[in-house]
Formats: sequence, structure tokens, C-alpha cells
Amino acid sequence: MPTYLLRRVGQSLLAIFLTLTTVFLLVRLAPGDPAAAYAAPTASSAELDRIRAQFGLDEPLINQYGIFLRDLFTGNLGTSYSFHAPAFDVVMDRMPYTITLAVAAITVTTVVAVPLGVWMARRADTKRELGANVLTITGQSMPDFWTGVMLLTLFAVLLPVLPASGFTTWSGLVLPTVTVAVLQLALVSRLVRREMVTALAAPYTTIARSRGVSERALTWSYGLRNSAVPLVTALGTRFAALLNGVVVVEVVFGWPGVGSLVVRALATRDYPLIQATVLVTATLAILVQLLVDLAYPLLDPRVRLGKAA
Amino acid sequence: MTGTVVGPERPSAVTARDLARATATRQRRGARFKIWAGALCTALVVLPVALAGLLPLPDANAQDLSQRRLPPLSGGHLFGTDQLGRDLLSRILHGGQVSLSVGVLAVLVSGLIGMAAGAAAGFFGGWVDALVSRFLEAQLALPLLMMLLLVVALFGPSITVITCVIAVAQWPEVARLTRSLVLVEREKPYVAAARVLGLRGWTVLARHVVPNVVRPVSLVVLLLIAQAVLLESALSFLGAGPQRPFATWGRIISDGQAYITTSWWLVTLPGLVIALLVVGVNLLGDGLRDRTRRRKGARA
Repeated sequence: MPTYLLRRVGQSLLAIFLTLTTVFLLVRLAPGDPAAAYAAPTASSAELDRIRAQFGLDEPLINQYGIFLRDLFTGNLGTSYSFHAPAFDVVMDRMPYTITLAVAAITVTTVVAVPLGVWMARRADTKRELGANVLTITGQSMPDFWTGVMLLTLFAVLLPVLPASGFTTWSGLVLPTVTVAVLQLALVSRLVRREMVTALAAPYTTIARSRGVSERALTWSYGLRNSAVPLVTALGTRFAALLNGVVVVEVVFGWPGVGSLVVRALATRDYPLIQATVLVTATLAILVQLLVDLAYPLLDPRVRLGKAA
Repeated sequence: MTGTVVGPERPSAVTARDLARATATRQRRGARFKIWAGALCTALVVLPVALAGLLPLPDANAQDLSQRRLPPLSGGHLFGTDQLGRDLLSRILHGGQVSLSVGVLAVLVSGLIGMAAGAAAGFFGGWVDALVSRFLEAQLALPLLMMLLLVVALFGPSITVITCVIAVAQWPEVARLTRSLVLVEREKPYVAAARVLGLRGWTVLARHVVPNVVRPVSLVVLLLIAQAVLLESALSFLGAGPQRPFATWGRIISDGQAYITTSWWLVTLPGLVIALLVVGVNLLGDGLRDRTRRRKGARA
């Protein structure tokens, strides 16, 4: 177990490091000049040179990379060009909003999709199940930015019951959460349905039924309990993806999370901010995946970590 | 189906009504409904888009400021006009040609890369497999849309870049599936037979193994087209799609967003068209998958 954990953490650190290096190279190899985006449009070329020197962009690429690595290991991610603040702090200011939205969305998805999937499994292959199936597929098929704009128009403009953008009151959380959850419903409910149908047809269910176990217990403690591993995997993967920033939904609702931050950082070629965002989000996403993996033995005692599956 | 209904010469307690209510019948009916409904929705969008040049429509870029923001069904404009007096239906259909070609091209590229990499990884194993698998894992850990925006922001939003970006985003899905299918397929006797006949590894893979996995893989590729169209429209919406004069679906929606309170159709109708297409493709793929899964189950 400790060896397994060590190896996983080592692999994760390597993955994060490689990601950062890729991003570092990509932003610098591509056209676009942070100094031009930073300075006034009328800035002279001498002024641009001065700004480049100030940001350390006049150094050769290899030196910049060396400085980047040295700073990284001393916990310094540089100063954001556009916010004039440590890039790490700028990202951390936005992180609570993204985490709030991700937690809310994954909670709503779970609360709706799991009972729906159970219901679909119990009514497998009926007309009503087909209807529910088509409905969730429709939800999954709508472009998220369009769903967002539609909900916004309906509930914030035509029927002004909810705030249109930003996060000033908790009611501002409703529309973005629904928009994100609608996308995930089909995936999760179908997974629950498939696992439940398999579990309910398994011999252990038949035996339990013959022993007089109630249908309710069969559904929840036999069926769902045995579907837990794939369900938690799917929810964990979705959650990790949401932490990486729901860029589109954040932009539509003016949500002050990392997704809208990264759009701005890209537009202004804010190298330290781009790197800090990637570092923080990738670390969080990998951490969530690790926690999911560690939860497997709790959900299914047959699983032994570190052994070949 | 009627062939299984028992005639009077073979009496049976199983009535035609029982057969009609059997699980297998209902599953088949569900799959058939999805395939037909999916094909219908897809055709409703794809045919007009493909024939956009032949239909009697106003020019997609002809502006007429006196005919600005006409509601649907007025002044000879079925879908109304946009903020510059251009016919919305014509813009959606012509924009659809760009969106759909980007989607199909991207999926072809990702399908080819994914199949080649996945098949090689599954068939040869060893370091090839390790390399491909690590690549897959690394990409799954990356913030996808963020990376796509990064690449588009850096290399410019040309159609080629966007097609490649979507293809790169999608190849892991194909590769993983192909790899798992090939892993099963390579243990079958016909592979050993082909080897005994003296065929090289590559020949066995290309001539004998790949044709046996193409069908399930092409199903996933079909579903990926829907994802590619969604991804392209999301990029366009964020301003990272193909630039003017291409009126892609995401761009039409993001342009119309400023007028949402006064001219609902500018955002609603293009979105409905995207949703109709994606629902169609998803239903079609789902129905086909249900059908093949059941066949496989029956054979096993």
C-alpha cells in the first residue's frame, strides 16, 4: 500500500511536471507578444524592450526555463502581468468559485441521475424508460453555451427570478449548476442503469430474493452497492474535469472561476498566470483521481491496490 | 419476427401476445425506434446543409439593413433575419457546411490516428503499448478545453488548426477502444493460423485483425462526430473558431447573444439546429450499439 501510494504520487508529479513544461514551451513558441498586450498601444519599441526585460522575456528560452524551474521549486510562480499580483494568489482567489460550482454540479448530478438510473433499471426496456433515455440524451446533446443562454433568458430576463451573472447571492449558483448537470445526467444515469441491470440479474440477487430479502433492500443494498465502483469512478472523473474549469459555462454566466480567468490570461498572453492555472487545476484533478483510486478498497473489499487487476 | 410465431400445427402455450411483450422484442423495438428517430433527426439537418447551394435561399452574406432582425416567417425569411439583415436560415445552412466538414474531417483524422495507435499497442504490446498508454493517460489528465483554447490562441484559428485540435482531443477514445478489442482479437486461432502461414506481424494486423474490429470502432467514431460538432461550436462561441467570413454555428450564436432579449430567434434557432443534429447522431449511435450488443449477447 505505501509503495503503491508512493509510485502513484511519483507518477502524478511527473505528469504535472511534463504538462507544465509543455505549456511553458507552447506559450513561448507561439506568436504573440505579452509586452505588446501589456503596454499602451502607442508604446515605443524601446518601451516594449524595457517591459520585456522587466518580465525576463529578453533572456534565451533555455535560461527562461531554468529560471522557471528554479522559481517553481522555491514555490514562486511569478507575477501575473495583468493583475500585478503573484499568479498563484490570483488563481487561488478564483479557485473557491470553481470548486463551489463543481461541487454543486456533481451533487445535483448524483442526486438526480442515481435514482433515475435505478428507476430505469427496474423499468428496463419499457416505453417510459425509452422516454427517459431519449430525454437524457437530448440534455447531453444540447451545446452547453446554448443551454446556458436559454436558461439565462428564461429565468433571468423574461421571468426575472434568478440573477443573470456573477456570484453575489447563492441563487446565482442555480443556473450554472443546472446547465452543467444537464450535460452529465445521460452519462451517469445510463451507467447506473447498466450496472444495476447486471447486478439485479446476478445469481446472488436471485438467492437473496429467494431468502425473502425485500425488493427495496435488493435495489439499494445489493444492486447499487455492487455498482459503486464504476459509479464512483465516473463521478470522480467528471468531478476532476469540472475542477479544470467549466470554461464555457463560466463565460456565459460571468462566473468568476478559473475557466473565465484562463480565457483572459490567454488573450493577454499572461505567461505566469497561464502556467499557474495549469499547475493548480492539473494538481487538483490528479488529486481527485488519486482519492477515487484509494476509495476502491473501501467500496469493494475484493480490490487490492497495487496488484494487477 | 413473424417466422417465430407458432402455427396451429405446433401447439404452444406461448401466444403471439407473449412474444410481443417479451424482453427481447421490447429491446429490439427500443433500438429500432432510436435508429429511426436518430436517422430522421440527422437527415433533417444534414440534407438541407448539404444541399444549401441548391435551395432557393438568399445569399448568406447579402446584407440588407432595412430588413434587420425580422422575426421568423416574415418577409420571405423562414428563420427571420439577423442584426445585419442577412437571412438566418441561409446563414445556418452555409455555416453548417463549415461546422460539419470540420467535424467529419476531425473525426476521420482522430479515427485513423486512434485506430493505428490503438491497434499497434494492442497487437504488439511491449514498449509500443507502454508508449501509447502513457500518452493516453497523460492526455486524460490535461484540462482539455483549456489546452484547446491555448493551442488555438497560439497558432491562430484557421480551419486546419481547429480540425487538428479537435482530432487530437478525440483520438484517445478511439485508441483505447481499438486497443482493448485488438487485445481480445489477437488471441484468436485465426491470428495464429495467419502467423503459421508465414505472414508478418504488420500484415496480420492490417489484413486480418483490423477488419474484425472496424465495425465497433466505427460506431464510436460516429458518436464522436456529434462531440466534434459540439466542440467546434463551443470554440467558435469563445471566439476561437474559424474566423469570418465563415459563419459557423457557434459564431452565429455568440453574435446573436447581444440581441437575445429583443430577437430570441438569433440564438434559439441555431442552437436548436445543433441540438437536433447531435440528438440525431447520438440516438442513431445508441440504437446501433444496442443492436450489436444484443446480437453479441445472443451469440455468446
